[in-house]
Amino acid sequence: MAKKRLTILQKLLEFSGIHPERLRMRWVSSAEAAEFVHEITEFVETIRKLGPNPLKERVAA
Amino acid sequence: MSQKIKEQVKQLLADRKIKGFLGLREENGHVMPYLFCDPQELDSLSVGDWKKPGDARYPLNQILIQLAMAYPDETFAVLVRGCDERGLRELFKWKQLEEGKVIPIGMGCPDELAKACECEKPFPDCQIDGPKGKGAPSQRISKIEAMALEERFQYWLKEFNRCIKCYGCRNICPMCFCNECSLEEELLVEKGDIPPDNPTFHLVRAMHMVGRCIDCGLCEEACPAEIPLRILYKKITEVVAEEFGYKTGYSIEEKSPLNLIEVK
Repeated sequence: MAKKRLTILQKLLEFSGIHPERLRMRWVSSAEAAEFVHEITEFVETIRKLGPNPLKERVAA
Repeated sequence: MSQKIKEQVKQLLADRKIKGFLGLREENGHVMPYLFCDPQELDSLSVGDWKKPGDARYPLNQILIQLAMAYPDETFAVLVRGCDERGLRELFKWKQLEEGKVIPIGMGCPDELAKACECEKPFPDCQIDGPKGKGAPSQRISKIEAMALEERFQYWLKEFNRCIKCYGCRNICPMCFCNECSLEEELLVEKGDIPPDNPTFHLVRAMHMVGRCIDCGLCEEACPAEIPLRILYKKITEVVAEEFGYKTGYSIEEKSPLNLIEVK
């Protein structure tokens, strides 16, 4: 169910001008520390490449 | 053009098959919803022609839900266009109305209206009156998709910033029937904040339209800030169709992907 919602939400974000890769969902069990670290690191790298969120300015203002 | 509708309703009332017919009536130059219980009143029946053919529209299904709650044992007939029929099907599936207690009386919309609405199917399957117009594809979606990401962002920011949080889009929506609405949840939408959190407010509503929006466009008609809401929900409906093969309101058996547990 969450996966379906995510698919739709990503498309909606893209349509409204927000990069869909800013939203990500992964399944990692509590026993998979290495996997968790890998996912987070990769996500941080992706976000870094995309740069600051365009909505950030509005929040600060 | 409402002769056939009048005849059928007269018959249904005479046979006591329905308690009343929920349609539109023209009175003192205004078109408004009316529950016809007496066949003699049918002379004042309107099919929503006001300034232009069919331009006076109301969420009749929303009123029907109220009627069904007040008179749970009665059967009512209701005037439906293509969009209303799609709405009825979804409302049956969401258990807001009982299929056996609703008799849809279908009429088609004129081409002019279908084009203005960019309606895919401007006539119901139960049509007995009115034109059977051609569907018009949405050109507004592709216009936005042709924009670059940043341009789209600025476009929606500008549109959403006009929002005065009147809740008109939600209030007129025939598919909004939740007793508790996320848009009134203080943790999500702060009180006294205008415009509401941009774009959260509108994207939350858009997400809640998944598998529900039947593309009637009343939200956009109601919006005093003229935010092109219909494009947003139309896009959502398109995504649901493309990703999950579900066409909202087109089938009585098939369920929305968000109402099914299985993963496709």
